[in-house]
Amino acid sequence: MSLFDPLVLLLVAAGLYMAWNIGANDLANAMGTSVGSGALSIKQVIIIAAVFEFAGAVLFGKRVTSTIAKGIVPIDSISLLDPHLVALGMLAAILAAGFWITLATFYNLPVSTTHSIVGAVLGFGLIAVYNGIIGYNEIKWVILAKIVGSWLVSPVLGAILAYIIFSIIRYFILQKTDDPYYIEKKFVILQTLTACYIAFAHGSNDVANAVGPLYAGLHSLEMAGLSIPLWVMALGGLGMVIGLATWGYRVIETIGTRITELTPTRGFSAEFATASVVVLHSYSSLPISTTHTLVGSVIGVGLAGGLAAVDLSVIGKIIVSWVVTVPVAALTSAMVFTGLLGVGL
Amino acid sequence: MIKKEYIRSVLNIFATSPFKPLVMHASKGGDCVRKLNEALLAYCDGDMDKVEELNREIDVIEHEADVIKQTIRSELSSSIMLPVHANDLLNFLKPQDSISDDAQEVSFWLTLRKIEAPDEIRYGFCALMEKTLATVELYEDLVATLGELLETSFSKRDVEDTLGLVTKVEEMEHQVDIIEKDLVKKIFRNENEIGALGVYHLARLVRGIGDIADKSEHAADRLRTMVLRR
Repeated sequence: MSLFDPLVLLLVAAGLYMAWNIGANDLANAMGTSVGSGALSIKQVIIIAAVFEFAGAVLFGKRVTSTIAKGIVPIDSISLLDPHLVALGMLAAILAAGFWITLATFYNLPVSTTHSIVGAVLGFGLIAVYNGIIGYNEIKWVILAKIVGSWLVSPVLGAILAYIIFSIIRYFILQKTDDPYYIEKKFVILQTLTACYIAFAHGSNDVANAVGPLYAGLHSLEMAGLSIPLWVMALGGLGMVIGLATWGYRVIETIGTRITELTPTRGFSAEFATASVVVLHSYSSLPISTTHTLVGSVIGVGLAGGLAAVDLSVIGKIIVSWVVTVPVAALTSAMVFTGLLGVGL
Repeated sequence: MIKKEYIRSVLNIFATSPFKPLVMHASKGGDCVRKLNEALLAYCDGDMDKVEELNREIDVIEHEADVIKQTIRSELSSSIMLPVHANDLLNFLKPQDSISDDAQEVSFWLTLRKIEAPDEIRYGFCALMEKTLATVELYEDLVATLGELLETSFSKRDVEDTLGLVTKVEEMEHQVDIIEKDLVKKIFRNENEIGALGVYHLARLVRGIGDIADKSEHAADRLRTMVLRR
């Protein structure tokens, strides 16, 4: 099948839109903390983010991408019956997740792209079960349970790690100094490094949300082999960088001007913890939310006495968004998929 | 209406810090007492127009302090996590707010009646006011150390510095007490010259000025509790 087949073009376009969304919002969120603490200017942040996000996606993004593509729904069994079904289903999944994310962004809700895409892919799988294409037990529930479990674990892990890192800085450096402002200046350099680290981590995990379904579709149409083609990963990386450059800089600006509490030592602790947790999950092939992990890490710094005021009510909002996102994305995806089948694409 | 920003962000986790407004609030109290000091000097000189004018200015500053206090309180919902106990913070805000309240009240009482007293008593008032102002200004310095405390996330050395200032405020308040008692005695000794109404009025002024130093000491004490009970 050619790259210029309408279905393939649609898949690529939808994947790019999703990547754009991720770059515009989630990446911007992860990077905004560096601007807020005054470590970097917006221009520097965008350059760092572009380079390291792209590198993270291309060099370390395949494991999670593979989980989104084949880890939840057995696309190979479905494409045995009809390869178009997988392509259509994955198109439905990206469209549904993209729609939900756009809506959430409009209403400033803390919804994760990761949760949306996992829910959406599951929705497609459930319709396949409903139509008798695959058996109920063929959906990999164990992996799904692991993924959902990692959503609970990752913010907690971020909080614990950030708590430890900040406590160490506090005990060994801040409490021994006469001039805390001098220490903060020194941490600006370190925070430049964590900005690179967090961009790399984000790229390695979140690129999957855009290119996972895209790869699944291409794979079933026999346009991609068992290993994920480089151009697919690069496309995802590029989409996210474009998202950051065209919209994300505004998000960074907004965040940067309002987060004044996060001084370089605090920012360093939160970012280092977040990036480490995310990279760990990328290594374990588990898709998690970078933003939620970052929220966990900030709470960790707050618990260690590093922040003047932390609003914990955001935890409740995040939990609600977890509970709502997966079913809503699954339902939307199922409806879009059924619709696409009905149109007879 | 909140401006739509079309973002899903981590911003919500960061609440407004109550500590900067706390420092601002303390310096509003200081401003009131500095104005009161001017008003008292004008009062001893018999310049009642100036006393009236300063009284109006103090009213305005006191109101500004109230607004800051209300903002701090309204932003401290139960979901806000601070490096200190929120209750301790509110307990310390209350006496701090009384500094401007008490200054306002003394300033009002100054406008009610002209001074008719021997020089000895006028000097006594100046001395009392001077010491009270010094206490309040030391208290302002104390509150300003909160910034550094947060920066080093309560390092031992900074905590010690802050606690040292608390002790100094307490010592200075004690000196105010001594001047206060002495002045009241003098006022009663000159009862014949001042008259009953004059004695009542002046004694009330002494009490009011002493209260200002008392409240600074009280707030400093609560601040210590807040820092120690983290």
